[in-house]
This record gives sequence, C-alpha cells and structure tokens, in this order.
Amino acid sequence: MSFGRFVFTRSLQGLGVIWGVITVVFALRFVTPGDPINAVAPLDATQETRRAIAAELGLDQPLYIQYGQYLFDLMVGDMGFSYIKGQEVTGLVFARVPATVELAVTATIVAIALSIPLGVISATRRNEPVDYGATLFSLAGISTPNFWLGIMMILILAVEFGIFHTSGRETDLGDVVISVVGPEPFISTLASWLKYITLPSIALGTYFMALITRLTRSGMLDELGKAYVTASRAKGIPETLVRYKHVLRNTLIPVITVLGLQLGTLIGGAVITEAVFSWPGLGTLVIQSINLRDWPVLQGSLIVIGTSFVLVNILVDTVYAYLDPQVVYD
Amino acid sequence: MVSARVIRNLKSEFKTSALAKIGLALVVGIILVATFAPFIAPHNPTEQRLPESELPPIGFTDTNEKTSSEMVDGEIQTVTETEVIRADSDYVLGTDGLGRDMLSRIIYGARTSLAVGVLGTLLAAVIGVPVGMYAGYHRGRIDDTLMRIADVSLAFPSLVLAVALIGLWGRAAIRVPDPFVVTGMVSDMPEFFVLPITVVIVVGLVNWVWFARVARGEAMSLRSQEYVKAARALGASDNRIILSHVLPNAITPIIVLGTVQVAAIILLESALSFLGFSGTTLSWGFDISQGRDYISSGQWWIASIPGLAIMLSVIGINLLGDWLRDALDPGIQGEGGAA
Repeated sequence: MSFGRFVFTRSLQGLGVIWGVITVVFALRFVTPGDPINAVAPLDATQETRRAIAAELGLDQPLYIQYGQYLFDLMVGDMGFSYIKGQEVTGLVFARVPATVELAVTATIVAIALSIPLGVISATRRNEPVDYGATLFSLAGISTPNFWLGIMMILILAVEFGIFHTSGRETDLGDVVISVVGPEPFISTLASWLKYITLPSIALGTYFMALITRLTRSGMLDELGKAYVTASRAKGIPETLVRYKHVLRNTLIPVITVLGLQLGTLIGGAVITEAVFSWPGLGTLVIQSINLRDWPVLQGSLIVIGTSFVLVNILVDTVYAYLDPQVVYD
Repeated sequence: MVSARVIRNLKSEFKTSALAKIGLALVVGIILVATFAPFIAPHNPTEQRLPESELPPIGFTDTNEKTSSEMVDGEIQTVTETEVIRADSDYVLGTDGLGRDMLSRIIYGARTSLAVGVLGTLLAAVIGVPVGMYAGYHRGRIDDTLMRIADVSLAFPSLVLAVALIGLWGRAAIRVPDPFVVTGMVSDMPEFFVLPITVVIVVGLVNWVWFARVARGEAMSLRSQEYVKAARALGASDNRIILSHVLPNAITPIIVLGTVQVAAIILLESALSFLGFSGTTLSWGFDISQGRDYISSGQWWIASIPGLAIMLSVIGINLLGDWLRDALDPGIQGEGGAA
C-alpha cells in the first residue's frame, strides 16, 4: 500500500466514524426522558400548541425522515436553533472553537516541550536524583485532578501573589498576532495574553506532561537496551547522535500513538479546565447547554467535538505512517 | 489463572520495590477508612454547626475583619477590628463554610470515590470483556462492527459523554443503609450511604471500550494457541472454549487494566461531582467545588484538603497498578482512559 493510498483509506474510515458520531448524537434526543417537545414547549401549552411545535421542528415526521433531514441539514452546516438563545447553533458553537483550540494547543505544546527532554534526561541518568524527581513528578501528575490543580494555582499564583488572572480570556492569541503589526504595543499584549493563558494551560497540560515523561522514559530505556544501539556505539557513532537521532526517534512512535488515543482526555480535560477558569470555549458551552436543557446546542457541540477528535486522529495516523513506514504495509 | 509463578513474581517484585509497598499501604488504608468510616469519623460529616464554620486546620490561624460603625461626638466613625480565628482541636482539618467537620467529610468521601471507582470499573469490565472476547475470538464481521462501535465511542471524551448522559438522565441515587449505624453499633452518623447510581452506570458505559479492546487483543492472540486448537478438535463449543480456555489466560492484563481504570474513574467521579453532576454531596469533588468559593477570602483548606485526598488515593492505586503490571505481565503497557 502506498503512503497516499494509506491516507485515503484512513480518511474513508474516519468518515464512517464521523457518520457514527452523528448517528449517536441524533439518537441522544430519544434517550431524553419524555417527549422531546417537553424541552421546547411551555409547561402550560395546549395540545394544539404542542402539535404546532412538533410540526415546526419536524418531530411529527417518521423517524427515518427526521434522520435523513438531520443528516442533510448537517451537510449544509445547519445544526438547528438554540431553544434558549434563539440563535443558530452552528454560529454559537463555532464562535467557541478558537478559545478551546487555543487552550488545548498551548497545553499540548507546553506539555511536549517539557516532557520529552525530561523523559530523555530521566532515562539517560537512570537512578540519579534527576530520575527520581522526574518519576515522582510524573506519578503525581497523572494522579492529580486537573480542576483541583487549577484552583490551587489560582489560590497561590493569582489570589495570593497576583501574578496571573483568576479567570477569563480578555486577550487572545489573535490580539497578540495583530499587535505585531497593529498599533497596540506587542510586549504588553503578549504579557496580557500570558496572564490569561498560563494557568489554564498548565492545569490542562500537566497530566499529559506526566504521561509523556513516563512513556518517553520507559521507551528510551527499552530502546537503549537493543542491539542496534550497541552496534552504533561500537561503530563509533557519537553518543549524542545515537540517543537523539536513533533512540529518540524510535521512542517517539509509541508516544504519538498514545497521544492520539488520549486526545479525548485532552478535550475532556479542556471542558473542566474551562469551567474552573471561566474560559469561554466549547466546554463551558457544553455545561451551560446541559444546565439550560438546550439540547440542540449540546448536540451541535458533541458533533463538533467528536468530529474534530476523528480528524485529529487521522492526522496523527498520517504522521505515524510517515515516521514508521512499516505501518503502511500492515 | 493465579499460578504459583504469578504469586512468586508478585512477592519478589514487592520485596524490591518501595513504591509497590507505598501503593499497597495507601490502598489498604483507604479501603479500611471507607469501610469503617462511621467508627473513624470524629463527627457526623453532614451535621452543620454554623457558629463553628470556617475554622482553620490545627496549626493554622485565620483572620476575619469586622467593620462596625459607631457614633462618636456626633460623627460616624468606621472601626475595623481584626479578629483572629484559631483552630479548634475538635476539628483537626478545620470546618467548611457550613461548619461541617472536614476530616469526617474526607473520611466519608472515600466511600463515594471507592464505591463509584470499583462498581464503575466492574460494570465496564462486565460489558467490555465478553464483547471483546467474542469479537476477538470469532473475528470477521462481528469484530469489524465492534471495532467501529469502539471508534465512535472513543470519539467522545469520557467526561463530555458522561456529563451529557447525566444531563439527559438526571442525577439518581440509591440510599444504602449503613450496617454499622442501622445495627446500632454507632450513633449520630448518617444512616444511609448515598450511592450516585447514574454516575456508576455512566462511568461504566463510557469506559467499557478499554476493556473490550484489551480483551479482544488477548482473544485474538490466544485463539491460535495449541491448547485452544486441541479443545476445538475435541469438540468443545466456542463459548465453552472462550469461557474455560481463553478468558482464564487473558485475566492478567484485564486485572492490570482494571486497576488503572479504578484510578481513572475516581478522577472522573471527582470531576463530575465538581461540576455538579453527581447524586451525592458527600464527595471530594463536590467539596472542592464548595471550597472554590472561599479561596479569595482566605479559607484555603476547604478546597485544598479534598484534592490531596483524591491525589493520594489515585497515586496509591496507580502504584498498585504499576506493581501488578511489572510483576504479572512485563510486556503490556496500560495507559487507557482518564477523566
């Protein structure tokens, strides 16, 4: 199988999963206790009104027509109307996407940038104090609830020392980019952005930092014991080259797989991190829509979350196939 | 199954690993605390004593600024008095905003975490293991279908799916009578343990997939073993082979995964209670959400202490999981599923 064909097959498969995601979300409205009309109709609505509402929303149609209509609407980007806000769901949901992406990407970058070197150092200095420190850190990191970590950081770094903001997102990454060319001074815009993004991204990223440190460490230790390492050393290849060019590259392959699988954890973590820091992203929208029983908004958010999970995983698999050509021939 | 070799490996690994000892001690400690909570807790965890609210833990003090206005010589003067609030030896870890004893709440909270963690994991295993075994043993179309269902299921983050399902189904709870209190061995303690049953069902439903994947992988590799072929040649039915030959040999990785899952589900439960999606108010996550309102006014302990309890339990279970993994099956890496 060629690389191009692999990507094509994988994308088709992903499309199937997205269809599954949509079907599950469509089915969700039927696990709601009672008639879906109850969620929209006023409590004292007459039978007449209820029937009118049902007709308006297409709820009086046979199931397969409702399902077909739902699929068709989604294809043209129509996710229906919010019960509460009376706005189009598509607009409401996509307005929240940049904030969540900004948070998730920053957290991932911080996590990867710190954890891979830490894992490498830990493995190459096995049983030295640095290794114990890294092991302890990664154990604590995978065992700490991220929302609690967030609150503790707010308590110490925001309330007590006033270094960061406790919540919100008044300055975003877009503002920082614009300030490079625009009238706003760059440094102060950047500083303002950092005051908002730092704590949430650490709260969200710590679990991944810990997980990747653990994986990198154990992967490096496995690889360092293999015959090709001894052979390379015997050939006189400098140790730095052996470690970083050969060993690290082979270590990163399983790390990438786990990262892809854990992407759901990242998005789930973003939901609760957003709740702690009042971050105006998809997560806060999900919680809000549940508390307000605004099902169309919940459904729209779930579809966007599920679909992006599938898309990012296709991307991860592509990178994986590129790094490890064996995958393509499976 | 549990052979002499397995026990030997467990013992030798335990002897050499300090972390395994710490893990086992933590887990045994938490199980004991949760089981005998009514005997250990110094106060009723739900009893409110407003005059004794917001007391700091022993060794700490808190200050309270009182502003009062007085008429002095026909002018209104504002007087600010700083009152020092000292810890009370009756409340070792202090009290929360409603004067409930923090230590007792932590002790009772262990019950909720452990009950949801263990029952949720069992439910996930009961759904996931048979499905995974069946699919991995038979392969073919059943297997393909299962893998697609698993893909769709994984596309929703556990926390998001759990929150959505609980939002739709409501927050039901079962009141289980506390045997120690009902039989009169202890008095002045809650008569019921409130089990958030929707949370148990939901965490089981969102995590079954991890069990299905592991069971499938094991069944796939075991189905071509000689003894399975031999059983088939002797005319044993597929179900019988799965039950008496495949499952017993796949139990080790399933147990290791189960341990990791208990930790993951405890974290998930705490997140759900923190967000208000639970059926009980005696939970570490719920206490953190209560304590959050006090961090800007200086009562740091209300949110901090329950978090430490979660962290210690999860560290304990993770260490136990590492020990089991290293001793039982050095080849596998269990890193599945979390909040």
